[in-house]
Amino acid sequence: MKNRSAHVEQGEKGAVYSTDPADFYYMGVNVPCQKACPAYTNVPAYIRSLYDGDPSRSYEINRIVNVMPAVLGRICSRPCEAMCRHGEPELGKPVNICHIKRSAADYREPGHIYLEQLFAPLGKRVCIVGAGPAGLAAAHDLSTVGVEVTLLEAFDKPGGMLRYGIPEFRLPRNILDAEIGGILRLGVALKTGVRVGRDVSVESLLADYDAVLVTAGCYVSRKLEVSGENLDSVFSGLEFVVDVHSGKLPVVGKSVLVIGAGFTAFDCARLALRLGADDVSICIRGTEEDLRVTADEILEAKRESIAIKGLTVSKRILGENGKVAGVEFLRTRLGERLPSGRRAVAPIEGSEFVLPADSVIVAVGQGAEAIPSPGEKGPRGVLKADPRTFRASVSGLYLAGDYMTGPSTVIESIAAGRRAAEQIVADLTGKRFRQWVVRMEKAQITDRPREWDFIPRQEIPTVLPAESRLKQMDIEVETGFSREEAHEEAKRCYLCYLHYEIDIDACIYCRYCIDVAPRDCIKLVKEIVTNEDGAITGYVQTTNWGEVNAVVIDNSRCIRCGACVRVCPVDCISVSKVQLVQRGLQSWR
Amino acid sequence: MSREHWVVIGNGPAGNAAAVTLRKFVTDARITLIGEENIPEYRCNLLPDFIAGALREEDLFCTPIQRFREMDIKLRLGQKVTDVAFERGELKLAHNEVVRFTGMIIACGSTPSIPERLGMFRDLMLPLKTLGDAKRWIEKLARVDSVFVAGGDLTSLCFTRALLALRKRVMFMLCPDSFWPIPLSSEVRRSCSARLEERGVEVLDCAKIENLTRLSEDSVEVKTDAGSLVVGAVGAFFGLVPNVRFLARTGLDLERGILVDEYLRTCVENVYAAGDCAQVYHPGIRAYWVSIGCPNATEQGRIAAMNLMGGSLSLDVPQENIFEVDGIKVNTSWWMEL
Amino acid sequence: MPGVDVTVEVCGMAGDGTIAAGGMINDAMSHGGFSVLGFDSYPAEIRGFGRCVTRSRVGDREIRALDEATHVLISLNDEESKSRVPVLTRDCVVLFDSNPPVLVEEDRSLVAILDPETRLFPMPFGDLAAAAAGTQRGRNLVALGGFAAVCGADPELFREAIRAKFKAKSQSVLQANLKSFDAGYAYALEKFHDRLLTMFASADLPKGPEKVMLSGNMAIGKAALDAGLKLYFGYPITPATPIMEYLARELPKRGGAVVQMEDEISSIGAVLGASYAGKRAMTATSGPGFALMTELITHGVMAEIPAVILNAQRGGPSTGLPTKTEQSDLHAAVFGGPGDSYRIVIAPTNVTECYYYTVKSFQLAEKYQTPVIVLTDFYLDNRVENVPMPEAREEDVRDGNIYPNVSAGEPYKRYLRTESGISPRSIPGQAGLQFTATGLEHTERGKPDYSARNHMEMSAKRFRKIQGALADLPEPEEYAPDGPLSVGVIGWGSTFGSALEAVLAARERGLRVGALKITSLYPYHEAAIRKFTSRCEEVLIPELNYSGQLISLIGRLCRKEAIPLNLATGEPFPPSLIRKKIEELAEAGAQ
Repeated sequence: MKNRSAHVEQGEKGAVYSTDPADFYYMGVNVPCQKACPAYTNVPAYIRSLYDGDPSRSYEINRIVNVMPAVLGRICSRPCEAMCRHGEPELGKPVNICHIKRSAADYREPGHIYLEQLFAPLGKRVCIVGAGPAGLAAAHDLSTVGVEVTLLEAFDKPGGMLRYGIPEFRLPRNILDAEIGGILRLGVALKTGVRVGRDVSVESLLADYDAVLVTAGCYVSRKLEVSGENLDSVFSGLEFVVDVHSGKLPVVGKSVLVIGAGFTAFDCARLALRLGADDVSICIRGTEEDLRVTADEILEAKRESIAIKGLTVSKRILGENGKVAGVEFLRTRLGERLPSGRRAVAPIEGSEFVLPADSVIVAVGQGAEAIPSPGEKGPRGVLKADPRTFRASVSGLYLAGDYMTGPSTVIESIAAGRRAAEQIVADLTGKRFRQWVVRMEKAQITDRPREWDFIPRQEIPTVLPAESRLKQMDIEVETGFSREEAHEEAKRCYLCYLHYEIDIDACIYCRYCIDVAPRDCIKLVKEIVTNEDGAITGYVQTTNWGEVNAVVIDNSRCIRCGACVRVCPVDCISVSKVQLVQRGLQSWR
Repeated sequence: MSREHWVVIGNGPAGNAAAVTLRKFVTDARITLIGEENIPEYRCNLLPDFIAGALREEDLFCTPIQRFREMDIKLRLGQKVTDVAFERGELKLAHNEVVRFTGMIIACGSTPSIPERLGMFRDLMLPLKTLGDAKRWIEKLARVDSVFVAGGDLTSLCFTRALLALRKRVMFMLCPDSFWPIPLSSEVRRSCSARLEERGVEVLDCAKIENLTRLSEDSVEVKTDAGSLVVGAVGAFFGLVPNVRFLARTGLDLERGILVDEYLRTCVENVYAAGDCAQVYHPGIRAYWVSIGCPNATEQGRIAAMNLMGGSLSLDVPQENIFEVDGIKVNTSWWMEL
Repeated sequence: MPGVDVTVEVCGMAGDGTIAAGGMINDAMSHGGFSVLGFDSYPAEIRGFGRCVTRSRVGDREIRALDEATHVLISLNDEESKSRVPVLTRDCVVLFDSNPPVLVEEDRSLVAILDPETRLFPMPFGDLAAAAAGTQRGRNLVALGGFAAVCGADPELFREAIRAKFKAKSQSVLQANLKSFDAGYAYALEKFHDRLLTMFASADLPKGPEKVMLSGNMAIGKAALDAGLKLYFGYPITPATPIMEYLARELPKRGGAVVQMEDEISSIGAVLGASYAGKRAMTATSGPGFALMTELITHGVMAEIPAVILNAQRGGPSTGLPTKTEQSDLHAAVFGGPGDSYRIVIAPTNVTECYYYTVKSFQLAEKYQTPVIVLTDFYLDNRVENVPMPEAREEDVRDGNIYPNVSAGEPYKRYLRTESGISPRSIPGQAGLQFTATGLEHTERGKPDYSARNHMEMSAKRFRKIQGALADLPEPEEYAPDGPLSVGVIGWGSTFGSALEAVLAARERGLRVGALKITSLYPYHEAAIRKFTSRCEEVLIPELNYSGQLISLIGRLCRKEAIPLNLATGEPFPPSLIRKKIEELAEAGAQ
């Protein structure tokens, strides 16, 4: 038995803080939404605050780990929802976690200001290259711990992909501006229109600052590498989107083929409709199943009459008089599933066919730009860094976000920016300012009536019919929940941070709890399986009464309904609230 | 468990042909045929005649249930497969039952498609695929005199014939989607329109529905790109989509339907697909297509069954006559019936 | 055949609320004016995980027995319900839980073994209950809601039954149950809108007096109360316990008392004591307890003390099949006493008769100064029927004692040998009428006397007395057309209802057949029985016992050897089995 006390510390109001790996393991299994979030957003807590009628507090809980809740409440890729326990097969659909976040932002008190946890100036200066999600998150965190931050941005305005890559109909710019403002107000010196490598060199930045963090994103479009790609009206996807959001409106004609399968392809297709096209197709090599965009995104695109043409690969782009006339495709056959999760596809010989088009948008991926700098580089001349420490091979130079990893999601970039900031501060000062702990405290049994488990998931309302949203570029398609809808949706969260446990010394093995259990969440076990950290990883169940050594609640199956606690005749089931939280370290170690 | 257990999903012509073929050649295997509707197999291609009053309900049914008892085919009606774990050879039914199998033929058919952009009007349109749909139409047609048909597929044409027989006014909109995978060319459009008009159908010069409004229980205002009109009912015939959502993320290759090769093999060993849920590459039209019609389904059911039992029958692909009628390339053989 | 005749089953595990659900179906349909006969079976274990099944036959004509074919199965536990599949009709309606909490393997699935013609109505019982009322406990009510919607029964009847059942509970409990019912009703109405059935629509409901749901046991308990019972002594035993439970609740309100004794011997002893003292007293038991009473019953015979003993038969011998039905105590009741210990044995055949015969038994016991055994069985005790509320007439509850009329000075002969064998009886404490009561053979004055002549004469007197009781005992009833019959069926106890159903069905098919109901098993009406058997080509006697106990009692009264039809399955006698036998015999006779 390892010494648990080494990991446990008494906190205020009877709470206990633990850094025991077993407890972290527990959190991962039992609060799957928080584990799935790259930024470890405390999902049950913020949903509960919204339910309690305190959207401001709900926003704040988000804001602790995620510098832009209003933005992410709209455009997050929602890895949490895929893991939500409510979405397990017989339990219904996941809680609409993302849009509750949006509602928290939408319904904050007027003039709500987030009070930052600030530390005294450290006398260190850090330059961040690129004011996208990673850069902004890092700038925020560095500023709060007392670092003087300069943020360089090549475009005219900060936001990076959020501003230039994500269409306005998904993310209104006033929302974005407000949340960027909330970061910059900490004293970040923003300089826009500065392209590092052209206007200023990395070397000189390294000389001027204690550290340089490159979060320049991925803005170099991949090419199809087929003939005809240089014709007029062939656009590269990312440039197309950036142009639209820089005020240059491309002329696309009536019929548009978008080649590509990612969010950018969908954004291009939907933007093309708003630019006047009426026959837009997205052509993908595999099938809809392999798309990485969310199901909502596919649905909304189809509602806007966008067709998805699967099992096609472009052979060449056909032109007439230097203008696009169409694309010649081959049909494909699906091949092996690659280790990356993607599908190999092979063209079918002799299957050529032509789809006519007025313009073609090629959105087949993007990569980072090779910025001239010292340090070790990858095959395409882009800087490399250690994925754990964010350090490039040159001292004081760090990378984060898409620039380091290739295209990823906004929430991943924010999480990466924060982690990079933590690493930079640690490297500069030898100190840590924040720490992840498992906070445990006594709690009451859930007050959620069981009826709430059957409230159907509410989808976000959108502007319908779809035609009416196409009239202007900036009509936000998702209109958001009303307060009542948000409150109703918040009721659905099981609150997995509640933890029920049977005190096996007090249990009389009456099995009443099993009789009332809503699913196979209470088990008769012979043995409990643990890992080397002492975390429970499984149970050896038995149906032989003679072998039963314990009646246990399997918290990975538990839906926190409380029925067992209510029925227990000897009160041997305890309730606690366990949360993974980040706390400021008052005493530095 | 050494005994084979072959499960056929789908109680239509393909599924029935598959199950019967399996039993014809193998006596000691367990065969289970699972159908979603709680009624025996019926001919959905006869539903228009049923609506027209030319057939009685009992005329629609095919094989009496007693035959399945005699053939020792376990018929499970009114039960729905919701998930399949191919790697474990398990399928899950809607009522949380697990059934293990050693081989499978999927013939789960298709359902009427409603384009997503019209999804919000779903309740204002009636499709025609099941006996239940037909009964709803019969009820409706007792009260209304005019029908707006958005379509172009076989069913819409047969249904139109039934409407004409009932002396209803038919307004027809040709929908490009109904002709998949053939694009609705102006040539096809012209030919189609002419044939319909010959029979007294009003073919509308419009391509899309923009709005539907319920004016009363039995009248709907249809707003198209060419203006508005008021009709008694709206028929949705935007083609069919294979009924394969329950197979999403099971490892089976799906595009529109279940992707199979010319032997009707899916990407999973011992799992075949047949009928109008199977999608196969057709070199003749250089496209993936889904066969339709009862004879095709029956033939595919038979082929899938033979191949599951170790055969290597290949789909007789170039059935050009299906696509070439009167010089028009269309995805349906029913043109001849009209 | 037009009209309504639907058998509904609810099957689940103990704890699923099966019996409650079945009860509410009975109450609701009865309230709706239907004829209802219900019967439950439940596990023998006192707390356990056994199967519970309720069967309710609902119709618009008089119902006398359960039918074995089930038209609607409400499965609250699929694994248990698998055992019901053999009795389901092919196009049976099955309502089952579509979202059980754990996955079910094919070999444990109910749905997997149902006939393809079965009409399936999957409903997430537990989820709907939890969603409506916050707890899955109302899943049986959700199922009832589904039943009402799917089969076309008036939901208000069920709401009424629910209100009645939960009226004593808190408002929140009532509301939770109503919500669960409504949730099931609404779900089924919407989900199955295109295949809802109207199983009860064609009912041609008879007009008549208002009916109440009454079980055999309740009828017996009420009868005892109405007959002026003062003291009940007993020891709990299935299936007689509900009588004691009922009386324990009701008797004290009327100034009586229920005493739970240490066993059945003391119970019958106390009954004899109370009766001896002139108060109406009874006990109720089943086979194993009845066996213990044997000695004291013969004491009652010898000392000529009234006593009412209800023997609710169950599967035997010994502990046997505690929760199954059987008619195998007939010999024990009639012949089970050592010595020439004749006693009166009567056996009701339905719930109404349970009432009237129990009332009657007190008078008989008093008049004939002897133990009277009322013989019922599990199927009769536990079934519920909807009947007009039985009310005893004044003359039925009147004191049955014949008191002595002796002039002063003449010594009182308690055991006076009269022509009828009935000796006028005094109650202890009546001045000048003291006597000795003894189990020893005795003289008219009650003095022990073992002389040959005395024993001969006293035995004759007691025999004469019991035979004379025939005049007061219910006559056999014929249910037959006039003239010769190809087959006559003689039935007793719970089986008679099945026999009559079978006979009526056979008659509908054009056969000349009839039924004879015998309720007085000892003494019995020889002449009446002979009158019936003499016009029967064949006599068929169906009984729920292995050896044919009635046939050995009265078989000699038939022209030729009667044909036994014996079942020892523990289950109620299926009418169709009797009907088939009748048809077989009629056919053989016709050839």
